[in-house]
Amino acid sequence: MSQQQIDQLFGYVQERCLWQFHSRSWDRQENIDGIISTATDLLHGQQPKKHAPMDRMFYADAKAMVDDLKVRFPWILDLEPTRVTELMAGLKSKLVDQTITQSLNRELHDKLY
Amino acid sequence: MPMVLLSCDKDIPEREKHIYLKVDGEDSRDFLPVSNAQTIPGTLSERGCAFCGAKLVIGGVLKDTIQMIHGPMGCAYDTWHTKRYPTDNGHFNMKYVWSTDMKESHIVFGGEKRLEKSINEAFDEMPDIKRMIVYTTCPTALIGDDIKPVCKKVMSERPDVDIFTVECPGFAGVSQSKGHHVLNIGWINEKVGTLEKNITSDYTMNFIGDFNIQGDTQLLQQYWDRLGIQVISHFTGNGTYDDLRCMQQAQLNVVNCARSSGYIANELKKQYGIPRLDIDSWGFSYMAEGIRKICAFFGIEDRGEALIADETAKWKPKLDWYKERLKGARMAIWTGGPRLWHWTKSVEDDLGIQVVAMSSKFGHQEDFEKVIARGQAGTYYIDDGNELEFFEIIDLVKPDVIFTGPRVGELVKKLHIPYVNGHGYHNGPYMGFEGFVNLARDTYNAVHNPLLKLAATDIRGGQRKVFLEAAE
Ligand code: SF4
Repeated sequence: MSQQQIDQLFGYVQERCLWQFHSRSWDRQENIDGIISTATDLLHGQQPKKHAPMDRMFYADAKAMVDDLKVRFPWILDLEPTRVTELMAGLKSKLVDQTITQSLNRELHDKLY
Repeated sequence: MPMVLLSCDKDIPEREKHIYLKVDGEDSRDFLPVSNAQTIPGTLSERGCAFCGAKLVIGGVLKDTIQMIHGPMGCAYDTWHTKRYPTDNGHFNMKYVWSTDMKESHIVFGGEKRLEKSINEAFDEMPDIKRMIVYTTCPTALIGDDIKPVCKKVMSERPDVDIFTVECPGFAGVSQSKGHHVLNIGWINEKVGTLEKNITSDYTMNFIGDFNIQGDTQLLQQYWDRLGIQVISHFTGNGTYDDLRCMQQAQLNVVNCARSSGYIANELKKQYGIPRLDIDSWGFSYMAEGIRKICAFFGIEDRGEALIADETAKWKPKLDWYKERLKGARMAIWTGGPRLWHWTKSVEDDLGIQVVAMSSKFGHQEDFEKVIARGQAGTYYIDDGNELEFFEIIDLVKPDVIFTGPRVGELVKKLHIPYVNGHGYHNGPYMGFEGFVNLARDTYNAVHNPLLKLAATDIRGGQRKVFLEAAE
Protein backbone atom coordinates (compact mmCIF):
# COMPACT_ATOMS: atom_id res chain seq x y z
CA MET A 1 0.00 0.00 0.00
CA SER A 2 1.52 3.29 -1.06
CA GLN A 3 0.63 6.96 -1.02
CA GLN A 4 0.18 6.69 -4.76
CA GLN A 5 -2.50 4.03 -4.31
CA ILE A 6 -4.34 6.21 -1.79
CA ASP A 7 -4.12 9.10 -4.25
CA GLN A 8 -5.62 6.99 -7.03
CA LEU A 9 -8.63 6.09 -4.87
CA PHE A 10 -8.95 9.65 -3.65
CA GLY A 11 -8.95 10.94 -7.24
CA TYR A 12 -11.74 8.50 -8.08
CA VAL A 13 -13.88 9.52 -5.07
CA GLN A 14 -13.37 13.22 -5.74
CA GLU A 15 -14.51 12.88 -9.32
CA ARG A 16 -17.34 10.47 -8.76
CA CYS A 17 -18.93 10.60 -5.31
CA LEU A 18 -21.44 13.22 -4.27
CA TRP A 19 -21.71 11.91 -0.69
CA GLN A 20 -18.44 13.56 0.30
CA PHE A 21 -19.94 16.97 -0.52
CA HIS A 22 -23.16 16.99 1.50
CA SER A 23 -24.21 20.29 3.00
CA ARG A 24 -22.67 20.47 6.45
CA SER A 25 -19.52 19.17 8.14
CA TRP A 26 -21.47 16.62 10.22
CA ASP A 27 -23.23 15.23 7.14
CA ARG A 28 -19.90 14.84 5.37
CA GLN A 29 -18.29 13.19 8.40
CA GLU A 30 -21.24 10.81 8.80
CA ASN A 31 -21.11 9.79 5.14
CA ILE A 32 -17.33 9.40 5.04
CA ASP A 33 -17.33 7.29 8.24
CA GLY A 34 -20.24 5.11 7.18
CA ILE A 35 -19.32 4.57 3.54
CA ILE A 36 -15.59 3.99 4.03
CA SER A 37 -16.27 1.54 6.85
CA THR A 38 -18.84 -0.36 4.74
CA ALA A 39 -16.54 -0.32 1.71
CA THR A 40 -13.72 -1.74 3.86
CA ASP A 41 -16.02 -4.57 4.96
CA LEU A 42 -16.94 -5.28 1.35
CA LEU A 43 -13.29 -5.34 0.27
CA HIS A 44 -12.62 -7.81 3.08
CA GLY A 45 -15.39 -9.99 1.71
CA GLN A 46 -17.53 -9.44 4.81
CA GLN A 47 -21.27 -8.90 4.78
CA PRO A 48 -21.91 -5.32 5.96
CA LYS A 49 -24.75 -4.28 8.29
CA LYS A 50 -27.98 -3.63 6.42
CA HIS A 51 -30.61 -3.25 9.14
CA ALA A 52 -31.02 0.47 9.76
CA PRO A 53 -31.99 2.78 6.87
CA MET A 54 -28.68 4.68 7.13
CA ASP A 55 -26.73 1.37 6.98
CA ARG A 56 -28.52 0.50 3.76
CA MET A 57 -27.73 3.93 2.36
CA PHE A 58 -24.03 3.49 3.23
CA TYR A 59 -24.16 0.06 1.62
CA ALA A 60 -25.68 1.45 -1.59
CA ASP A 61 -22.95 4.07 -1.97
CA ALA A 62 -20.14 1.75 -0.81
CA LYS A 63 -21.16 -1.09 -3.11
CA ALA A 64 -21.18 1.14 -6.21
CA MET A 65 -17.77 2.49 -5.25
CA VAL A 66 -16.17 -0.89 -4.49
CA ASP A 67 -17.47 -2.48 -7.70
CA ASP A 68 -15.95 0.41 -9.64
CA LEU A 69 -12.65 0.38 -7.74
CA LYS A 70 -12.16 -3.31 -8.50
CA VAL A 71 -12.51 -2.61 -12.22
CA ARG A 72 -10.46 0.57 -12.35
CA PHE A 73 -7.74 -0.48 -9.91
CA PRO A 74 -7.46 -4.29 -10.16
CA TRP A 75 -4.35 -4.25 -7.92
CA ILE A 76 -6.77 -3.77 -5.02
CA LEU A 77 -7.81 -7.43 -5.34
CA ASP A 78 -4.25 -8.58 -4.61
CA LEU A 79 -3.77 -6.58 -1.41
CA GLU A 80 -3.39 -8.32 1.96
CA PRO A 81 -6.36 -7.64 4.29
CA THR A 82 -4.24 -5.46 6.59
CA ARG A 83 -3.12 -3.42 3.61
CA VAL A 84 -6.75 -2.93 2.55
CA THR A 85 -7.53 -1.59 6.02
CA GLU A 86 -4.58 0.80 5.85
CA LEU A 87 -5.48 1.88 2.35
CA MET A 88 -9.06 2.73 3.30
CA ALA A 89 -7.92 4.50 6.48
CA GLY A 90 -5.57 6.59 4.35
CA LEU A 91 -8.38 7.38 1.93
CA LYS A 92 -10.68 8.37 4.77
CA SER A 93 -8.19 10.72 6.35
CA LYS A 94 -7.52 12.37 2.99
CA LEU A 95 -11.24 12.83 2.39
CA VAL A 96 -11.79 14.37 5.82
CA ASP A 97 -8.87 16.70 5.23
CA GLN A 98 -10.10 17.76 1.80
CA THR A 99 -13.83 18.10 2.38
CA ILE A 100 -13.99 19.14 6.04
CA THR A 101 -10.76 20.21 7.76
CA GLN A 102 -9.29 22.28 4.95
CA SER A 103 -12.47 23.04 3.05
CA LEU A 104 -12.87 26.73 2.24
CA ASN A 105 -16.66 26.34 2.11
CA ARG A 106 -17.98 28.99 4.47
CA GLU A 107 -21.37 27.31 4.92
CA LEU A 108 -19.97 24.04 6.21
CA HIS A 109 -20.37 24.82 9.89
CA ASP A 110 -23.71 26.66 9.80
CA LYS A 111 -25.90 25.22 12.54
CA LEU A 112 -29.04 25.14 10.39
CA TYR A 113 -29.76 23.85 6.92
CA MET B 1 -2.99 29.70 -10.89
CA PRO B 2 -4.95 31.74 -8.39
CA MET B 3 -8.16 33.58 -9.03
CA VAL B 4 -8.43 35.53 -12.27
CA LEU B 5 -9.10 39.24 -12.78
CA LEU B 6 -10.39 39.59 -16.33
CA SER B 7 -9.50 42.78 -18.14
CA CYS B 8 -13.18 43.77 -18.44
CA ASP B 9 -13.32 43.71 -14.63
CA LYS B 10 -10.46 46.14 -14.07
CA ASP B 11 -12.85 48.66 -12.50
CA ILE B 12 -14.54 46.06 -10.28
CA PRO B 13 -11.53 44.15 -8.96
CA GLU B 14 -13.74 42.39 -6.38
CA ARG B 15 -14.79 40.09 -9.24
CA GLU B 16 -11.41 38.38 -9.03
CA LYS B 17 -12.67 36.40 -6.03
CA HIS B 18 -15.41 34.88 -8.19
CA ILE B 19 -13.43 33.53 -11.17
CA TYR B 20 -11.07 30.59 -10.95
CA LEU B 21 -8.88 28.93 -13.58
CA LYS B 22 -7.97 25.41 -12.51
CA VAL B 23 -4.46 24.13 -13.10
CA ASP B 24 -3.02 20.67 -12.49
CA GLY B 25 -2.10 19.98 -8.92
CA GLU B 26 -4.56 22.45 -7.41
CA ASP B 27 -7.87 21.76 -5.77
CA SER B 28 -10.66 23.49 -3.86
CA ARG B 29 -8.56 23.65 -0.66
CA ASP B 30 -6.34 26.13 -2.46
CA PHE B 31 -8.94 28.28 -4.17
CA LEU B 32 -12.72 28.32 -4.03
CA PRO B 33 -14.72 31.08 -5.73
CA VAL B 34 -16.80 33.27 -3.45
CA SER B 35 -20.44 32.50 -4.22
CA ASN B 36 -23.99 32.99 -2.93
CA ALA B 37 -22.74 36.48 -2.15
CA GLN B 38 -24.24 39.85 -2.98
CA THR B 39 -23.81 40.90 -6.58
CA ILE B 40 -21.06 43.50 -6.86
CA PRO B 41 -22.26 46.97 -7.90
CA GLY B 42 -21.09 47.59 -11.43
CA THR B 43 -21.53 44.04 -12.62
CA LEU B 44 -24.48 43.24 -14.87
CA SER B 45 -25.66 40.10 -13.13
CA GLU B 46 -27.71 37.43 -14.87
CA ARG B 47 -29.44 36.39 -11.66
CA GLY B 48 -33.15 36.19 -10.92
CA CYS B 49 -34.89 37.34 -7.77
CA ALA B 50 -35.50 35.33 -4.60
CA PHE B 51 -39.26 35.12 -5.25
CA CYS B 52 -38.50 33.66 -8.67
CA GLY B 53 -36.46 30.87 -7.05
CA ALA B 54 -39.49 29.79 -5.04
CA LYS B 55 -42.17 30.20 -7.70
CA LEU B 56 -40.57 29.58 -11.08
CA VAL B 57 -38.24 26.81 -9.99
CA ILE B 58 -40.21 24.80 -7.42
CA GLY B 59 -43.82 25.80 -6.64
CA GLY B 60 -44.96 26.59 -10.16
CA VAL B 61 -44.12 23.09 -11.33
CA LEU B 62 -47.00 21.47 -9.41
CA LYS B 63 -49.81 20.20 -11.58
CA ASP B 64 -52.77 20.79 -9.30
CA THR B 65 -52.00 24.02 -7.50
CA ILE B 66 -52.99 27.63 -8.10
CA GLN B 67 -49.94 29.88 -7.81
CA MET B 68 -51.31 33.15 -6.42
CA ILE B 69 -48.71 35.87 -6.76
CA HIS B 70 -49.48 38.76 -4.47
CA GLY B 71 -47.91 41.67 -6.29
CA PRO B 72 -47.93 43.62 -9.54
CA MET B 73 -48.60 41.80 -12.78
CA GLY B 74 -44.93 41.76 -13.81
CA CYS B 75 -43.85 39.49 -10.97
CA ALA B 76 -46.41 36.94 -12.16
CA TYR B 77 -45.78 37.23 -15.86
CA ASP B 78 -42.00 37.07 -15.49
CA THR B 79 -42.21 33.78 -13.61
CA TRP B 80 -44.78 32.10 -15.83
CA HIS B 81 -44.30 30.04 -18.95
CA THR B 82 -40.58 30.70 -19.23
CA LYS B 83 -39.70 27.17 -18.16
CA ARG B 84 -40.99 24.09 -19.89
CA TYR B 85 -42.23 21.72 -17.21
CA PRO B 86 -45.22 19.90 -18.66
CA THR B 87 -47.59 17.73 -16.63
CA ASP B 88 -49.59 14.62 -17.40
CA ASN B 89 -52.89 16.43 -16.74
CA GLY B 90 -52.72 18.81 -19.66
CA HIS B 91 -50.15 21.29 -18.38
CA PHE B 92 -52.44 23.11 -15.95
CA ASN B 93 -49.45 24.90 -14.43
CA MET B 94 -48.33 26.33 -17.76
CA LYS B 95 -51.73 27.34 -19.06
CA TYR B 96 -52.69 29.75 -16.31
CA VAL B 97 -51.12 32.59 -14.39
CA TRP B 98 -52.61 34.18 -11.28
CA SER B 99 -51.85 37.57 -9.79
CA THR B 100 -53.48 39.99 -7.38
CA ASP B 101 -52.43 42.69 -9.88
CA MET B 102 -51.53 45.27 -7.24
CA LYS B 103 -51.87 48.86 -8.36
CA GLU B 104 -50.92 52.15 -6.70
CA SER B 105 -54.09 52.49 -4.60
CA HIS B 106 -53.62 48.97 -3.17
CA ILE B 107 -50.05 49.79 -2.30
CA VAL B 108 -51.21 52.96 -0.54
CA PHE B 109 -54.18 51.43 1.30
CA GLY B 110 -52.92 47.86 1.77
CA GLY B 111 -53.50 44.73 -0.29
CA GLU B 112 -54.86 42.15 2.15
CA LYS B 113 -58.50 42.61 1.12
CA ARG B 114 -57.49 42.37 -2.51
CA LEU B 115 -55.58 39.17 -1.79
CA GLU B 116 -58.58 37.61 -0.05
CA LYS B 117 -60.82 38.55 -2.97
CA SER B 118 -58.33 37.16 -5.49
CA ILE B 119 -57.97 33.85 -3.64
CA ASN B 120 -61.73 33.38 -3.53
CA GLU B 121 -62.12 34.42 -7.16
CA ALA B 122 -59.48 31.92 -8.25
CA PHE B 123 -61.07 29.04 -6.35
CA ASP B 124 -64.53 30.03 -7.68
CA GLU B 125 -63.26 30.16 -11.25
CA MET B 126 -61.54 26.77 -10.92
CA PRO B 127 -63.84 24.70 -8.77
CA ASP B 128 -61.87 21.49 -9.37
CA ILE B 129 -58.70 22.96 -7.91
CA LYS B 130 -58.45 22.91 -4.12
CA ARG B 131 -54.80 23.72 -3.50
CA MET B 132 -52.93 27.01 -3.66
CA ILE B 133 -49.56 28.57 -2.92
CA VAL B 134 -49.59 32.30 -2.12
CA TYR B 135 -46.37 34.25 -2.62
CA THR B 136 -45.45 37.72 -1.40
CA THR B 137 -43.38 39.92 -3.70
CA CYS B 138 -41.28 43.04 -3.05
CA PRO B 139 -44.12 45.58 -3.03
CA THR B 140 -46.51 43.57 -0.85
CA ALA B 141 -43.76 42.62 1.59
CA LEU B 142 -42.64 46.25 1.84
CA ILE B 143 -46.12 47.50 2.73
CA GLY B 144 -46.35 44.78 5.36
CA ASP B 145 -49.28 42.75 4.01
CA ASP B 146 -49.72 39.83 6.40
CA ILE B 147 -50.70 37.00 4.09
CA LYS B 148 -50.90 34.12 6.56
CA PRO B 149 -54.02 35.35 8.45
CA VAL B 150 -55.71 36.05 5.12
CA CYS B 151 -55.07 32.47 3.98
CA LYS B 152 -56.20 31.07 7.34
CA LYS B 153 -59.46 33.00 7.03
CA VAL B 154 -60.11 31.62 3.54
CA MET B 155 -59.28 28.08 4.72
CA SER B 156 -61.72 28.41 7.63
CA GLU B 157 -64.46 29.53 5.23
CA ARG B 158 -63.60 26.89 2.62
CA PRO B 159 -62.78 23.72 4.51
CA ASP B 160 -61.98 21.74 1.36
CA VAL B 161 -59.07 23.97 0.33
CA ASP B 162 -55.49 24.03 1.56
CA ILE B 163 -53.12 26.97 1.11
CA PHE B 164 -49.37 27.25 1.62
CA THR B 165 -47.66 30.61 1.94
CA VAL B 166 -44.19 31.57 0.73
CA GLU B 167 -42.94 34.83 2.17
CA CYS B 168 -39.85 35.41 0.09
CA PRO B 169 -39.96 38.73 -1.75
CA GLY B 170 -37.44 39.37 -4.51
CA PHE B 171 -35.12 41.32 -2.24
CA ALA B 172 -34.98 38.61 0.47
CA GLY B 173 -31.71 37.13 -0.78
CA VAL B 174 -28.86 37.55 -3.24
CA SER B 175 -30.37 35.32 -5.93
CA GLN B 176 -32.98 32.68 -6.72
CA SER B 177 -31.25 30.47 -4.20
CA LYS B 178 -32.97 32.16 -1.25
CA GLY B 179 -36.36 31.31 -2.70
CA HIS B 180 -35.45 27.63 -2.93
CA HIS B 181 -34.44 27.72 0.71
CA VAL B 182 -37.54 29.50 2.00
CA LEU B 183 -39.92 27.18 0.14
CA ASN B 184 -38.04 24.02 1.26
CA ILE B 185 -37.94 24.95 4.93
CA GLY B 186 -41.49 26.33 4.96
CA TRP B 187 -42.87 23.17 3.38
CA ILE B 188 -41.15 20.74 5.77
CA ASN B 189 -42.22 22.79 8.79
CA GLU B 190 -45.82 23.41 7.78
CA LYS B 191 -46.98 20.73 5.36
CA VAL B 192 -44.95 17.51 5.55
CA GLY B 193 -46.69 15.05 7.86
CA THR B 194 -50.16 16.53 7.44
CA LEU B 195 -51.42 13.72 5.20
CA GLU B 196 -50.85 10.00 4.59
CA LYS B 197 -51.28 8.13 1.34
CA ASN B 198 -51.88 4.54 0.44
CA ILE B 199 -48.67 2.52 0.30
CA THR B 200 -48.67 0.12 -2.63
CA SER B 201 -45.10 -1.20 -2.66
CA ASP B 202 -42.49 -2.53 -0.24
CA TYR B 203 -40.12 0.01 -1.76
CA THR B 204 -40.92 3.70 -1.38
CA MET B 205 -38.95 6.85 -2.09
CA ASN B 206 -39.25 10.56 -2.68
CA PHE B 207 -37.60 11.83 -5.84
CA ILE B 208 -36.29 15.27 -4.94
CA GLY B 209 -34.93 18.06 -7.13
CA ASP B 210 -36.21 17.20 -10.59
CA PHE B 211 -38.73 19.50 -12.21
CA ASN B 212 -39.96 17.50 -15.20
CA ILE B 213 -38.19 19.76 -17.67
CA GLN B 214 -39.64 18.62 -21.00
CA GLY B 215 -40.67 15.36 -19.41
CA ASP B 216 -37.61 14.35 -17.32
CA THR B 217 -39.77 13.15 -14.43
CA GLN B 218 -42.10 11.21 -16.68
CA LEU B 219 -39.18 9.51 -18.39
CA LEU B 220 -37.58 8.48 -15.07
CA GLN B 221 -40.97 7.38 -13.73
CA GLN B 222 -40.93 4.57 -16.32
CA TYR B 223 -37.79 3.26 -14.62
CA TRP B 224 -39.29 3.40 -11.11
CA ASP B 225 -42.43 1.65 -12.37
CA ARG B 226 -40.36 -1.12 -13.94
CA LEU B 227 -38.39 -1.50 -10.72
CA GLY B 228 -41.58 -1.66 -8.64
CA ILE B 229 -40.66 1.38 -6.55
CA GLN B 230 -43.49 3.63 -5.38
CA VAL B 231 -42.58 7.29 -5.61
CA ILE B 232 -44.38 8.89 -2.66
CA SER B 233 -43.72 12.39 -3.94
CA HIS B 234 -41.90 14.16 -6.70
CA PHE B 235 -40.34 17.37 -5.43
CA THR B 236 -41.74 18.80 -7.66
CA GLY B 237 -41.76 17.57 -11.30
CA ASN B 238 -45.25 16.52 -12.42
CA GLY B 239 -46.00 16.51 -8.68
CA THR B 240 -49.07 17.19 -6.60
CA TYR B 241 -49.48 19.31 -3.51
CA ASP B 242 -50.96 16.46 -1.45
CA ASP B 243 -48.22 13.96 -2.37
CA LEU B 244 -45.71 16.43 -0.99
CA ARG B 245 -47.59 16.46 2.33
CA CYS B 246 -46.83 12.71 2.58
CA MET B 247 -43.05 12.91 2.15
CA GLN B 248 -42.52 11.48 5.66
CA GLN B 249 -43.79 8.09 4.45
CA ALA B 250 -40.84 7.36 2.13
CA GLN B 251 -37.99 5.01 3.06
CA LEU B 252 -35.45 6.87 0.96
CA ASN B 253 -34.90 10.37 -0.40
CA VAL B 254 -33.22 10.35 -3.78
CA VAL B 255 -31.82 13.78 -4.58
CA ASN B 256 -30.95 15.03 -8.04
CA CYS B 257 -30.78 18.82 -7.65
CA ALA B 258 -29.02 19.27 -4.33
CA ARG B 259 -28.96 23.04 -4.67
CA SER B 260 -32.67 23.78 -5.00
CA SER B 261 -33.88 20.90 -2.88
CA GLY B 262 -31.09 19.61 -0.65
CA TYR B 263 -32.58 21.49 2.31
CA ILE B 264 -35.76 19.43 2.44
CA ALA B 265 -33.79 16.18 2.06
CA ASN B 266 -31.54 17.23 4.95
CA GLU B 267 -34.55 18.07 7.11
CA LEU B 268 -36.29 14.80 6.23
CA LYS B 269 -33.17 13.01 7.43
CA LYS B 270 -32.96 15.10 10.59
CA GLN B 271 -36.65 15.08 11.49
CA TYR B 272 -37.78 11.68 10.18
CA GLY B 273 -34.56 9.65 9.85
CA ILE B 274 -35.01 9.12 6.10
CA PRO B 275 -31.58 8.74 4.41
CA ARG B 276 -30.53 11.11 1.63
CA LEU B 277 -28.99 9.52 -1.45
CA ASP B 278 -27.61 11.95 -4.03
CA ILE B 279 -27.43 10.81 -7.64
CA ASP B 280 -26.81 12.30 -11.09
CA SER B 281 -29.67 11.65 -13.50
CA TRP B 282 -27.97 13.04 -16.61
CA GLY B 283 -25.56 10.73 -18.47
CA PHE B 284 -25.39 6.99 -19.15
CA SER B 285 -22.78 6.04 -16.64
CA TYR B 286 -24.26 8.26 -13.91
CA MET B 287 -27.84 7.08 -14.52
CA ALA B 288 -26.76 3.45 -14.35
CA GLU B 289 -24.88 4.16 -11.14
CA GLY B 290 -27.91 5.95 -9.65
CA ILE B 291 -30.21 3.02 -10.48
CA ARG B 292 -27.69 0.57 -9.00
CA LYS B 293 -27.50 2.55 -5.76
CA ILE B 294 -31.27 2.83 -5.38
CA CYS B 295 -31.68 -0.89 -6.07
CA ALA B 296 -28.87 -1.78 -3.64
CA PHE B 297 -30.67 0.22 -0.95
CA PHE B 298 -33.85 -1.79 -1.50
CA GLY B 299 -32.09 -5.12 -2.13
CA ILE B 300 -33.47 -5.44 -5.67
CA GLU B 301 -30.15 -5.37 -7.54
CA ASP B 302 -31.29 -7.91 -10.17
CA ARG B 303 -34.16 -5.71 -11.30
CA GLY B 304 -31.77 -2.78 -11.63
CA GLU B 305 -29.27 -4.74 -13.74
CA ALA B 306 -32.05 -5.94 -16.06
CA LEU B 307 -33.29 -2.38 -16.55
CA ILE B 308 -29.80 -1.03 -17.21
CA ALA B 309 -29.09 -3.84 -19.71
CA ASP B 310 -32.34 -3.13 -21.59
CA GLU B 311 -31.83 0.61 -21.74
CA THR B 312 -28.16 0.33 -22.67
CA ALA B 313 -28.95 -2.07 -25.51
CA LYS B 314 -31.59 0.32 -26.77
CA TRP B 315 -29.78 3.64 -26.51
CA LYS B 316 -26.01 3.08 -26.33
CA PRO B 317 -25.49 2.61 -30.09
CA LYS B 318 -27.22 5.93 -30.69
CA LEU B 319 -25.15 7.65 -28.03
CA ASP B 320 -21.98 6.22 -29.57
CA TRP B 321 -22.97 7.51 -33.01
CA TYR B 322 -23.06 11.03 -31.58
CA LYS B 323 -19.93 10.49 -29.49
CA GLU B 324 -18.00 9.62 -32.61
CA ARG B 325 -19.01 12.98 -34.10
CA LEU B 326 -18.72 15.12 -30.98
CA LYS B 327 -15.33 14.00 -29.76
CA GLY B 328 -13.17 16.97 -28.90
CA ALA B 329 -15.98 19.56 -29.15
CA ARG B 330 -15.53 22.41 -26.68
CA MET B 331 -18.49 23.24 -24.50
CA ALA B 332 -19.27 26.05 -22.08
CA ILE B 333 -21.98 25.59 -19.44
CA TRP B 334 -23.53 28.78 -18.08
CA THR B 335 -26.54 27.76 -16.04
CA GLY B 336 -27.81 27.98 -12.46
CA GLY B 337 -25.32 25.91 -10.52
CA PRO B 338 -25.79 22.12 -10.23
CA ARG B 339 -25.82 21.40 -13.95
CA LEU B 340 -22.16 22.40 -13.99
CA TRP B 341 -21.16 19.45 -11.82
CA HIS B 342 -23.88 17.13 -13.13
CA TRP B 343 -22.77 17.62 -16.73
CA THR B 344 -19.04 18.31 -16.90
CA LYS B 345 -17.94 14.71 -16.41
CA SER B 346 -20.92 13.07 -18.09
CA VAL B 347 -20.42 14.91 -21.38
CA GLU B 348 -16.71 14.21 -21.14
CA ASP B 349 -17.05 10.48 -20.40
CA ASP B 350 -20.16 9.68 -22.44
CA LEU B 351 -19.62 12.04 -25.40
CA GLY B 352 -15.92 12.92 -25.47
CA ILE B 353 -16.73 16.62 -25.08
CA GLN B 354 -14.35 19.00 -23.34
CA VAL B 355 -15.94 21.53 -20.99
CA VAL B 356 -13.84 24.68 -21.14
CA ALA B 357 -15.77 27.22 -19.05
CA MET B 358 -18.58 27.07 -16.52
CA SER B 359 -20.54 29.83 -14.88
CA SER B 360 -23.12 29.55 -12.11
CA LYS B 361 -25.80 32.11 -11.29
CA PHE B 362 -26.79 30.94 -7.84
CA GLY B 363 -24.54 28.03 -6.88
CA HIS B 364 -23.02 27.98 -3.40
CA GLN B 365 -19.45 27.03 -2.51
CA GLU B 366 -20.60 23.42 -2.13
CA ASP B 367 -21.41 23.47 -5.85
CA PHE B 368 -17.97 24.84 -6.66
CA GLU B 369 -16.32 22.15 -4.53
CA LYS B 370 -18.17 19.55 -6.58
CA VAL B 371 -17.47 21.07 -9.97
CA ILE B 372 -13.78 21.82 -9.32
CA ALA B 373 -13.36 18.19 -8.18
CA ARG B 374 -15.00 16.91 -11.34
CA GLY B 375 -13.95 19.47 -13.93
CA GLN B 376 -10.76 19.70 -15.94
CA ALA B 377 -7.64 21.78 -15.48
CA GLY B 378 -7.52 24.70 -17.93
CA THR B 379 -11.24 25.31 -17.39
CA TYR B 380 -12.72 28.54 -15.99
CA TYR B 381 -15.11 28.32 -13.03
CA ILE B 382 -17.16 31.50 -12.62
CA ASP B 383 -19.66 32.67 -10.04
CA ASP B 384 -22.41 35.10 -11.08
CA GLY B 385 -20.79 35.82 -14.45
CA ASN B 386 -21.72 38.98 -16.31
CA GLU B 387 -22.10 39.74 -19.97
CA LEU B 388 -18.70 41.36 -20.54
CA GLU B 389 -17.00 38.49 -18.77
CA PHE B 390 -18.79 36.07 -21.07
CA PHE B 391 -17.40 37.90 -24.13
CA GLU B 392 -13.89 37.78 -22.72
CA ILE B 393 -14.12 34.13 -21.68
CA ILE B 394 -15.40 33.20 -25.14
CA ASP B 395 -12.29 34.79 -26.63
CA LEU B 396 -10.10 32.88 -24.20
CA VAL B 397 -11.60 29.41 -24.54
CA LYS B 398 -13.30 29.47 -27.97
CA PRO B 399 -16.26 27.17 -27.26
CA ASP B 400 -18.03 25.29 -30.08
CA VAL B 401 -21.34 25.28 -28.18
CA ILE B 402 -22.73 26.99 -25.10
CA PHE B 403 -25.36 25.48 -22.81
CA THR B 404 -27.19 28.42 -21.26
CA GLY B 405 -30.56 30.18 -21.04
CA PRO B 406 -32.34 32.00 -23.86
CA ARG B 407 -31.18 35.46 -22.77
CA VAL B 408 -27.47 34.67 -22.87
CA GLY B 409 -28.24 32.36 -25.77
CA GLU B 410 -29.39 35.30 -27.88
CA LEU B 411 -26.20 37.11 -26.97
CA VAL B 412 -23.91 34.32 -28.10
CA LYS B 413 -25.94 33.73 -31.26
CA LYS B 414 -24.85 37.20 -32.34
CA LEU B 415 -21.29 35.96 -32.11
CA HIS B 416 -22.35 33.04 -34.33
CA ILE B 417 -21.74 30.51 -31.59
CA PRO B 418 -24.53 27.96 -31.24
CA TYR B 419 -26.31 27.66 -27.94
CA VAL B 420 -28.45 24.90 -26.48
CA ASN B 421 -31.02 25.80 -23.84
CA GLY B 422 -29.41 24.52 -20.68
CA HIS B 423 -32.40 25.38 -18.50
CA GLY B 424 -35.52 24.40 -20.46
CA TYR B 425 -33.68 22.25 -23.07
CA HIS B 426 -34.03 22.40 -26.85
CA ASN B 427 -35.68 19.03 -27.45
CA GLY B 428 -35.69 17.15 -24.18
CA PRO B 429 -36.08 15.34 -21.90
CA TYR B 430 -32.34 15.09 -21.22
CA MET B 431 -32.37 12.86 -18.13
CA GLY B 432 -31.97 9.10 -18.20
CA PHE B 433 -30.54 7.00 -21.03
CA GLU B 434 -32.91 8.16 -23.77
CA GLY B 435 -32.64 11.71 -22.48
CA PHE B 436 -28.88 11.82 -22.81
CA VAL B 437 -29.18 10.76 -26.44
CA ASN B 438 -31.52 13.74 -26.87
CA LEU B 439 -28.89 16.00 -25.32
CA ALA B 440 -26.26 14.49 -27.62
CA ARG B 441 -28.49 15.04 -30.66
CA ASP B 442 -29.15 18.70 -29.77
CA THR B 443 -25.44 19.24 -29.15
CA TYR B 444 -24.52 17.61 -32.45
CA ASN B 445 -27.13 19.62 -34.33
CA ALA B 446 -25.85 22.81 -32.73
CA VAL B 447 -22.15 22.17 -33.29
CA HIS B 448 -22.56 21.03 -36.89
CA ASN B 449 -25.29 23.43 -37.92
CA PRO B 450 -24.01 25.35 -40.96
CA LEU B 451 -26.51 28.17 -40.56
CA LEU B 452 -24.57 30.15 -37.98
CA LYS B 453 -21.48 30.21 -40.17
CA LEU B 454 -23.60 31.25 -43.14
CA ALA B 455 -25.15 33.99 -41.04
CA ALA B 456 -21.68 35.35 -40.39
CA THR B 457 -21.04 35.74 -44.10
CA ASP B 458 -21.56 39.24 -45.42
CA ILE B 459 -21.16 39.71 -49.15
CA ARG B 460 -21.04 43.49 -48.78
CA GLY B 461 -17.43 43.23 -47.57
CA GLY B 462 -15.80 46.58 -46.84
CA GLN B 463 -18.82 48.60 -47.93
CA ARG B 464 -20.66 47.74 -44.74
CA LYS B 465 -20.70 50.41 -42.03
CA VAL B 466 -19.65 48.72 -38.82
CA PHE B 467 -21.06 50.00 -35.53
CA LEU B 468 -19.13 49.37 -32.37
CA GLU B 469 -20.50 46.69 -30.09
CA ALA B 470 -21.00 47.59 -26.44
CA ALA B 471 -18.35 45.09 -25.44
CA GLU B 472 -15.62 46.60 -27.61
S1 SF4 C 1 -40.75 43.17 -7.87
FE1 SF4 C 1 -39.48 41.87 -6.54
S2 SF4 C 1 -40.58 39.91 -6.48
FE2 SF4 C 1 -41.39 41.04 -8.24
S3 SF4 C 1 -40.15 40.32 -9.97
FE3 SF4 C 1 -39.20 42.22 -9.18
S4 SF4 C 1 -37.61 41.52 -7.73
FE4 SF4 C 1 -39.02 39.78 -8.09
